[in-house]
Amino acid sequence: MKAPRIINALRYLMFAGLLVIAAASLVGVARTETPPRGPERQLDQVHSLAGVKCASCHVAAARSAPVRMETCQTCHASAALASKTAEFKPTNPHNNPHYGTETDCNLCHHQHQASVNDCSGCHTRFDFKVP
Amino acid sequence: MASVRQRTDKTPAFLLESLRRALQVPDTWWTLREVTRVKFPHTQLHVRDRAMDKRQVGSDAQLDPYVQHVITHGLSRRSFFTQAAGGVAALGLSGMSAAAGLAGIAGGTNFARSSDGGAILDFLPAPKVIPDGDIKDTKSFDIVVVGAGASGVPAALSAAQSGAKVAVVQKHPMPVSQGNTGTGIDLATTDKAGIAALIALVMRDNQNRSNPALLEEWALNSGEAVRWIIEHARQGGARVIDQGNEQQGAIHKVNGYTLNYVTSYFGPKPYNTGDGIIALAKVAKKAGVQFFYRTPATQLLQNSAGEITGVIAQNADGSYTKFYAKKGVILASGDYQSNQAMCDYFLPDIKHLGRKQLDRTGDGFAMAYWAGGVIEPIGHTKMVHDFDAGPPSMCDMPFLNVNRAGQRFVNETVGMSEMNNYLREAKDAGHYAQVFDANYMTQAATWPGHLIPPEGLKNYMPEEPGPKVDVFPSLTNTYAAATLAELAVKLTVDPVAFVATVKRYNTLVASGNDADFGKPADRLIPIEKAPFYGIHRHVCVSAICSGMLVDLHHNALNAVGAPIKGLYIVGNLGGGFYGGVDYPLTVYGMSLGRCYTSGYVTGRYVARLGA
Repeated sequence: MKAPRIINALRYLMFAGLLVIAAASLVGVARTETPPRGPERQLDQVHSLAGVKCASCHVAAARSAPVRMETCQTCHASAALASKTAEFKPTNPHNNPHYGTETDCNLCHHQHQASVNDCSGCHTRFDFKVP
Repeated sequence: MASVRQRTDKTPAFLLESLRRALQVPDTWWTLREVTRVKFPHTQLHVRDRAMDKRQVGSDAQLDPYVQHVITHGLSRRSFFTQAAGGVAALGLSGMSAAAGLAGIAGGTNFARSSDGGAILDFLPAPKVIPDGDIKDTKSFDIVVVGAGASGVPAALSAAQSGAKVAVVQKHPMPVSQGNTGTGIDLATTDKAGIAALIALVMRDNQNRSNPALLEEWALNSGEAVRWIIEHARQGGARVIDQGNEQQGAIHKVNGYTLNYVTSYFGPKPYNTGDGIIALAKVAKKAGVQFFYRTPATQLLQNSAGEITGVIAQNADGSYTKFYAKKGVILASGDYQSNQAMCDYFLPDIKHLGRKQLDRTGDGFAMAYWAGGVIEPIGHTKMVHDFDAGPPSMCDMPFLNVNRAGQRFVNETVGMSEMNNYLREAKDAGHYAQVFDANYMTQAATWPGHLIPPEGLKNYMPEEPGPKVDVFPSLTNTYAAATLAELAVKLTVDPVAFVATVKRYNTLVASGNDADFGKPADRLIPIEKAPFYGIHRHVCVSAICSGMLVDLHHNALNAVGAPIKGLYIVGNLGGGFYGGVDYPLTVYGMSLGRCYTSGYVTGRYVARLGA
């Protein structure tokens, strides 16, 4: 015998309600959680969520021109950055025999694609996690 | 009584000579006719004559044979025109003035061409016009040096000491160099015959393709230059010694003649020539040289007469600065190993090999080429080494060598500096391992080189804790293991194949007969007793040592062998010094010795021009 109409209606309501709650919770997570640091999230999202607009970096007349490291340095001063990572093992990536403290950020840190570990081509044991 | 015989006979040579004198035709043209008629009988001489008529025949027709070869077969803006017009290898083109030659380049091509005109080389684009609005600043000097390395910094200091006002433009944030050892000849204690014998030896090791005159120029100036480097680098706080003949045992006597050496050594590692050149730059700065870092040179300034008057360089913010150079520009920008297209063209053999240096995009090649210079013919010389994975003194020892597939691949008497030729493909990419067992100290005791005992080998083992001495710790790659299979994993070679390879090798050793690779019996030692050792060498490109055509003053020459006024080329950007398949290790430290010497003499020479 079929359930009474009111029970069925309640079941549908409950199911829909659960769906709504599930959807809301997903959206809620995405909107309120702080973006994780490290290689899980691309740097363009990290910068965007931190309030940095596209035009802040893409200052050249040609928007698609590569962004020079000087632009990065307006916020990420190279000497201060080198101090910050001075204790990294096995070595400080931001102060090295090749470029001193002036390694071009773009060699490793990509914005619109995954970053890479540019050292590892020659230095196989430099296992940096590059944001 | 004998009388002087008059030459009144009717020999062809005499008649020809009389005719030549009567018509007052310059000697060259007739010589050309004779040579082509006799040596190249199938040449269409009438075509040749018409071509010759168009040119002014000059008097400076006796070009050095090396120079002649390079302008015929090298790459220049004129080279493919020359080939098309000439037919026979170009003899006696010297009548063409520099300006006339360059003005003949027509147009429409924005890229360089191969020496036969058949290929367009997009790695050498013509310099873009930089609008005046983008030139933020103009500066004026006597000499501008492009590149702050092992030849550029010495050139700058040497020029300043001779009274010139000098600027150095450098793309990196500081001076950059590498290596440790730079060698010269101590003239006072060396036989002249010894110098000649050494030059002949180096020529042979360069597969006879270098210019002996340039080797001699190094030989005669290098002792003075290297001593000067040691003295002045020390003033800047460098850690440097003169090793004398310590590394030159094999060439202390050549053909029985004695040579003695001045050998600068910046070290021990990780301290190296890079640090030494930074110290030398401090001395140069104190002497008044102005350094502009993160300022890559982009194009030369050349007037309508073809003279180089300066260089445009790019500032860190993207704008440009014009540097005028009253006496000359000295290009010292090094090689092109980071320029993939250029490497694919000139050195396809290194396509799958790693590189040691960074940002060597051959900037000086493009600048000099478009100014009218000549790139040495195809057949460029590579330097591909790994002195860091294990003891340098054991790098050539003929232990069993295996590739990444765990297989033996070569007669191991091939030295480390030539091993790259057997490891060119992508699957090998320059990787191999030297393998030996616990008995190596006794069994290899008589081998050339110098064995490092097991305690000393730990210095090269990343798995061994503790401080390391005279190495780059991140580049060491030596391992010990209790079993062959374990060693294979540490060496990143196929373990199954490796074990089988060692088994086969031991069989050959036991028979005293290397049926697989023909290695001499006294270099066959078994691999049986643990611990088992492996040195994983990864040979990578240290430098490319071929470059632009220069004369003995390091003045760049154009496609007719005439000097390009105001343009000088030193270091690895200069050509004529090598030419073999691989950089020769005949003279340990020759590469840096040549860089120092060419910079030192050229800085002084250009500074004194017009004095």
